[in-house]
Amino acid sequence: MTANGVRPGERFLRGVHRTLTGLHPALESVLAAVVGLLVGAALMYVWGYDPWRAYWALLRGAYGGSYEVASSMARGVPLVLTALTFSICLRAGMFNIGAEGQMYVGAAAAVCVAYFQLPAGLHLLVGIAFAGIAGALWSLGPALLKLTRGVNEVISTIMFNWISRFLVFYLVAQVLVDPRRAEKTVSIPVTARFPILMQGTDLSYSVFLAVALALFAYFLLWHTAVGYEVRAAGLTPTAARYGGISIQRTIFLSFALGGVGAGLAGASTTMGLPPTYAIISGLPELMNLGFDGMAVAMVGRNHPIGILFAALFFGGLNAGGRVMQFYGSNPVPLEMVRVVMGAIVLAMAIPELARIFPVAVERGRKLAGVFARRKPAAEKEGA
Amino acid sequence: MSWSYVLDLLRISLHAMVPITLTAVGEIIGETAGLFNIGLEGILLTSAFVGALGAKAGGPVVGLLVGMGVGMAIGLVFSVISAYWKGTQMIAGIGINLFALGVVAFGLIKLGAPGFHAVPLGAQLAKLRTPMGALSPLIFVALVLPFLAYFFLKRTRAGLILKAVGENPEAADVAGINVNLTRLLATTFGGALAGLAGAYLSVAWFGSVTKEISAGRGFIALATVVFSGLNPILGLVGGFIFGFFQSLATWIKTFPTKTIPWQFVDMLPYIVTLLVVSGVVGRVRFPKALGVPYKRE
Amino acid sequence: MSQTSKRSDGETRDGYFLRAERITKIYSDGTVAVRDATLELHSGEIVGLLGENGAGKTTLTKILSGLLPPTRGRVVSPRGRVRFASPREARDFGIGMVHQHFALVGTFTAVENVALSHEKALSPLRLAQTRARLESLIAESGLKIPLNVPVEKLAVGEQQRVEVLKVLSRDVDILILDEPTSVLTPLEVDELFGLLRRLRDEGKAIVLITHKLKEVGSITDRVVVLRKGAVVGDERTSDVTREQLAQLMVGRSVGTTTGRAVELSTEDIPAGAGHPVKGERGPGVLHVEGLTVAGDTKPVAVHELTFDVHAGEIFGIAGVEGNGQTELVEALTGLRRAVGGTATIRGKNILGLDPRQIYRLGVAHIPEDRWVLGLVLPFTLAENAILGVHRWAEFRGPLSILRWGKINAHVRALMDRFEIQATGPGAPAKSLSGGNQQKLIVGRELAKDPAIVIASQPTRGLDVGAAQYIRDTLVEMRDRGRAILLVSADLDEVLALSDRVAIMYEGRFMAAARPEELNREKIGMLMGGVGVKGEA
Repeated sequence: MTANGVRPGERFLRGVHRTLTGLHPALESVLAAVVGLLVGAALMYVWGYDPWRAYWALLRGAYGGSYEVASSMARGVPLVLTALTFSICLRAGMFNIGAEGQMYVGAAAAVCVAYFQLPAGLHLLVGIAFAGIAGALWSLGPALLKLTRGVNEVISTIMFNWISRFLVFYLVAQVLVDPRRAEKTVSIPVTARFPILMQGTDLSYSVFLAVALALFAYFLLWHTAVGYEVRAAGLTPTAARYGGISIQRTIFLSFALGGVGAGLAGASTTMGLPPTYAIISGLPELMNLGFDGMAVAMVGRNHPIGILFAALFFGGLNAGGRVMQFYGSNPVPLEMVRVVMGAIVLAMAIPELARIFPVAVERGRKLAGVFARRKPAAEKEGA
Repeated sequence: MSWSYVLDLLRISLHAMVPITLTAVGEIIGETAGLFNIGLEGILLTSAFVGALGAKAGGPVVGLLVGMGVGMAIGLVFSVISAYWKGTQMIAGIGINLFALGVVAFGLIKLGAPGFHAVPLGAQLAKLRTPMGALSPLIFVALVLPFLAYFFLKRTRAGLILKAVGENPEAADVAGINVNLTRLLATTFGGALAGLAGAYLSVAWFGSVTKEISAGRGFIALATVVFSGLNPILGLVGGFIFGFFQSLATWIKTFPTKTIPWQFVDMLPYIVTLLVVSGVVGRVRFPKALGVPYKRE
Repeated sequence: MSQTSKRSDGETRDGYFLRAERITKIYSDGTVAVRDATLELHSGEIVGLLGENGAGKTTLTKILSGLLPPTRGRVVSPRGRVRFASPREARDFGIGMVHQHFALVGTFTAVENVALSHEKALSPLRLAQTRARLESLIAESGLKIPLNVPVEKLAVGEQQRVEVLKVLSRDVDILILDEPTSVLTPLEVDELFGLLRRLRDEGKAIVLITHKLKEVGSITDRVVVLRKGAVVGDERTSDVTREQLAQLMVGRSVGTTTGRAVELSTEDIPAGAGHPVKGERGPGVLHVEGLTVAGDTKPVAVHELTFDVHAGEIFGIAGVEGNGQTELVEALTGLRRAVGGTATIRGKNILGLDPRQIYRLGVAHIPEDRWVLGLVLPFTLAENAILGVHRWAEFRGPLSILRWGKINAHVRALMDRFEIQATGPGAPAKSLSGGNQQKLIVGRELAKDPAIVIASQPTRGLDVGAAQYIRDTLVEMRDRGRAILLVSADLDEVLALSDRVAIMYEGRFMAAARPEELNREKIGMLMGGVGVKGEA
């Protein structure tokens, strides 16, 4: 405290600090991912697994070859779309955690195309439109409750998630059910399926839909007056109102557009993911894609382009996790992937994670110094 | 429809009320101090799982205490991130929920039968025999606690401090109150109550753990908090209303004549939550600094 | 607790109570707020801490009161070095601070607010005791306040009294007041000063932070002048003239740069110093009749107001803040619904329109709070420069696509014309200094080529140079035949710039006159609600 001289160690730490805080926010995402993976590794170690072997299997399963990369991309497609839902709304200042339910509804709407016939391309487009519209309509519920009754969107979207879950359970079991197989809905006809992009993999043309929507969202938010209004309203609602921007409008728009994204996520899964092309009872293919999308959105820094990279990462975790769970004599269950995702999101919640690291190190050093000084013999300078 | 059916419904409702009320009262304390914890669902889930393990090892009371401990620990993590590191509370909460989902599913697999784990009968909390039938003792805790919390908030200086920290942390700071510590204590307490509620689910009520055991109760508790306007006694009322509708769904399912699909009955509590919240919001005023980290400079 | 006085009799008048020695404070963003400043406090003395906005006055006192740790330097008392790690320790030492933004919990009553800063955390709540103590303190000090109303419902002056009582209830030895008079009417100021003198005579050390020279002269015994964080003068008040102090404070000789009254806030305005009208007063632009507006907590904030603003004139509204000025401006700019009355701009009704529709009628709005209303701080300069005009054909092409090329060119032109110092159109607005932020707003609004400029507190918190620039710009707009509605709590500013002045009190105009028809005493009475016409 008394000495003002800077010790070399401190100078080094300050240098690290400056470097880290000066860098692009993308670095914080990477850092959060590292923290998440470390937490996962620690848990695996504690629970008697070999984290390095597991991660090695995961890495190879995710990005080990073109087949693996395609598989990761396929898993990333719905995540991009649900992440966009969360991000667009967050840019408008709304915590829309309703992507999950909007996606269910979108998937159910997509299945409806099985009941009529159309030429190949058109049938697919109609299915996409159905899903997008259904997702948007479902998301208008929370938007309207927010605008007319002031209901917190966090609460209402959660409730809508549960309602849509049971609604789709019902639709799957009673309305859209395959008359021959009660555990699933009717299958989407070939004419309305996304063609497979890479033979032998899950990757279909739905990847272009996801990328296109991300690019559209980017263009809308940063290059149009509408997107400008959305961002202004999200950052400083008072100033936006001063600027003649209708907050009601931006909320409505962001929910509607976000709903389209989530609806399309449902479509991309039911119409674009082999082999079932139907909703299975209990929704195993869909479950949690909406929540995982929030993690993707955060790691992607709520930027459509960042989301594309983050989705590739999380898609890789999922695809690699499927390999990891069968790898070796003591395989790690797939659920570990979600543990890692949770840890990453927790790390993302810490602002300036990069700043806290050096500070924590410094604190630790000081603490160590205090203990060192307690020792009667060692009264040396420096730690 | 016989009288015993109605009594059954009431009894199930009381049991369903407990986790929602306990969690809501804890969250009322936390939100009064200015922290919004959306991770309650994750706390319920984790503590239901770990509480069940604790009960198996050391009996029901140990199970409940372990559950509380887990809830406290998660609440502590949340409040360190939110209060001390000025993190975004919503994101921290979402992270807790994701993390819990993974850890519990992982743990259930680790225990053998994926997705389900029974708590042995001996490790479950015994029910009390009453004229209304067998009731869990925690029902009485849930009935009394809101009144204690009410007294605490209205009549003690600690309650005054809590409200000040949530309403105007700067003024509290100037008055010599440690804002971050107060928030940490409040949220850790809230976490402990949610942990107790979670352990109740597995140890005292269902006697088993599934990875969906929390079934949105953490979120319903959040809605209850909105409904209560941060009044613990209204939190009790809200908890009972929500518990009742949840039970109604299960109750109707057991009827021999199926008039409406069970899925719609299951939807009911969520729809009711929406209706209640949209009818209530507007008249309630929440702390000004709710969800906002306090920075001194 | 507060009953235990720490005043020791060992300290004499010429000893010191507390000394801040060579304090330096560097904020985490690199701003040096205080550099090498030394401040000594004696019992029975009122010290004026004088300086412009941003001179470091508040930071220095926050260090004294334990709210901020100093980067370098130390605080010592005759008992040795003191280190305040928290406001609580400073408080226990006997230091009390009345903050500029009151440290009151709005939903609490005065009693609850006082109770909050006393007693141990786990002690039961003894509101009755606190109330009794507060009542006796009120009797002693003569500061009357309602005890059972949430303080957010009280008038600003009353809130300040609660704040002062709260601090006094702790039996402090050192009392620090941060700009206490900015929210008070002249009568209330007299009352406050009377109390401060009594406290001084009881032996307390008092620090009065201010940027008003007149106050320094009328109440302080000693004056410490801060400029850019450094102490540039420490004199007995009787030994210095106002001119010398003004010079110390600003760092150059005052009042010579332009013909207009420059350092307005530091000097009294000579009676009748209106501004010469260059152009003819033109036709009426804004016409307001019987306008009634509700406030957030009050049912009536603006009460049946009637006035006109003409082209080529500055119509100034003076008055203590919180008397309905904010609500009036919000109603005229579409941010708040009016309850009754009419308002037209060039004959077209504006009540019930949204802000964008009102801007289309030729209204520019320089809002009172640039961080809350005027700017989206995380946005870039370019993004902020089109706020409110982002849908104009100049900036928005087909399909709602923004023309960033044109926008950036527009921003560069604004930066040149309004001397905005920034790295470029892509710089975030929050990286700009307050003065440059305000210039950006003024530039954006004036680029609309408006028929009327509604300017609310346009120079608040700005340094002298930037404030002067903005005043000059407003005058220039007036001279080019625009109508200007100027709302400012800075009385000197309103008097110097306006062609006509109205004094607002509790939602009504106490008087509307040419500035030369009013003298300070009269204005002081009007601001305090003492009607000269006898109608209010």
